[in-house]
Amino acid sequence: MVDGRGSEEISLADLPIAEDRDAAWRMIRAHGRVVDLGGQFAMTDVETVETAFRQPTVFSSKKAFEVLASPLPLVPIAFDPPEQTRYRRILQPFFSPRAIRLLEGELRRQLIEIIEPLAARGECDFVAEVAGIFPVQVFLTLFGFPLDMRDQLIEWKDAVLGLVDASGNTALEGAAAEAAMGKAAELFFYLSDLVAKRRGVAGDDVLSQLLCLDGEEALTDEEAIGLCFLFVLAGLDTITGSLGFGMDRLARNPVQRREIVYDPSLIPAAVEELVRLDPPAPFVPRVTTEETVLDGRTLPAGTRVFGYLAAANRDENRHPDPYAVNFHRGDNPHASFGLGVHRCLGSHLARMEMRLVYEEWHKRIPDYGVAPGAVPRVKWPQGTLGLEALPLVFPPSGAR
Amino acid sequence: MRVTVDRDRCVGHGLCYMIAPDVFTDDEDGYGRPALDGELPSELVTSARRAVGSCPEQAIAITGEVD
Repeated sequence: MVDGRGSEEISLADLPIAEDRDAAWRMIRAHGRVVDLGGQFAMTDVETVETAFRQPTVFSSKKAFEVLASPLPLVPIAFDPPEQTRYRRILQPFFSPRAIRLLEGELRRQLIEIIEPLAARGECDFVAEVAGIFPVQVFLTLFGFPLDMRDQLIEWKDAVLGLVDASGNTALEGAAAEAAMGKAAELFFYLSDLVAKRRGVAGDDVLSQLLCLDGEEALTDEEAIGLCFLFVLAGLDTITGSLGFGMDRLARNPVQRREIVYDPSLIPAAVEELVRLDPPAPFVPRVTTEETVLDGRTLPAGTRVFGYLAAANRDENRHPDPYAVNFHRGDNPHASFGLGVHRCLGSHLARMEMRLVYEEWHKRIPDYGVAPGAVPRVKWPQGTLGLEALPLVFPPSGAR
Repeated sequence: MRVTVDRDRCVGHGLCYMIAPDVFTDDEDGYGRPALDGELPSELVTSARRAVGSCPEQAIAITGEVD
């Protein structure tokens, strides 16, 4: 180690993310603040990530998403300011705390319907039966799609997400890629059809309202479909992943779990802490548009760098005792929703979804554990992280 | 001292009123704006500064001296 910088190279494949996330982030942090992944770089501390993400025209998100070669404009993440600013201004009001709050009652009702049958049963796969379906219902509700589209949407979404790997490269070849592209096309045609039908027709849902905007704010069909695609890519598996990780940590930390059972007003703080420890999209890509210096290292134009958010969230300069689960941190300025102008558009919605799940689950199922013999593993390698399954066992509600 | 939010820069991330709810509030569309008219009480200065530092669009300014 020279100047706190690791000398030996490390690759993403060396990190034990599937088995032990904390160990993986500890390992990459031990390699330095900017870690060479063989021509690409990982940023692992708060200061470096902040430096890069606060220069959105030097560290471009647009260029980072060009590798996807998406036929649709992925609004707004695949844009840099000023186009990105325009999209952001159009979209943000639909995802503001006030706008989101209007949905709370309906989403809570749907969630209770999901959880109650499980409480009576005494066991479940939390990922498949709660975390995997609730965010999809939220999307359907928000965008005014019929709820019975749920399983179809899950199938399309899984196909689209399977097309890219953790580094943002094409993950499939041959027949598998063709099959996935076919599913992506089905989703595209479904959305195109819906956009055509909703254009100019008044409605309460986000899509109808977006399609009724006029003047400078009007979105083209392509932009509207691209936004739906982005929501499907960014707003579903991220919540599924976070909820699975959160419940896994709660199951393994009964002291902290009891704190939120006895005092549900701690749940918002628990949401922040759990999402600090396990950001579901921990590798945020940028590509440099010009030669620039990062942590003393000169990077040429066109260099791919990744904000390793889970590593930065374990920076002890920002988060004392960073590997501990602590619902009393007060201020918890984690980077899990990103930083700078591209910061997560749906963070208020995401927080509400997680809060509702922890509230309604713990009201009904305060005591639970990971099923004996089960070792939850992270689906890996992927860009959006989540557990493959989380089998939980608990006393059935009728028996209590 | 006072806080101001530049409406041309704010896009409504909503961090200021989450971090410093006594200093900032949200309008109908989720944009941040000062919650108080006039001078900022000294006990709110620290949280106001944190909100300034957190704004992704660098849309918040603090003007004037602390009393």
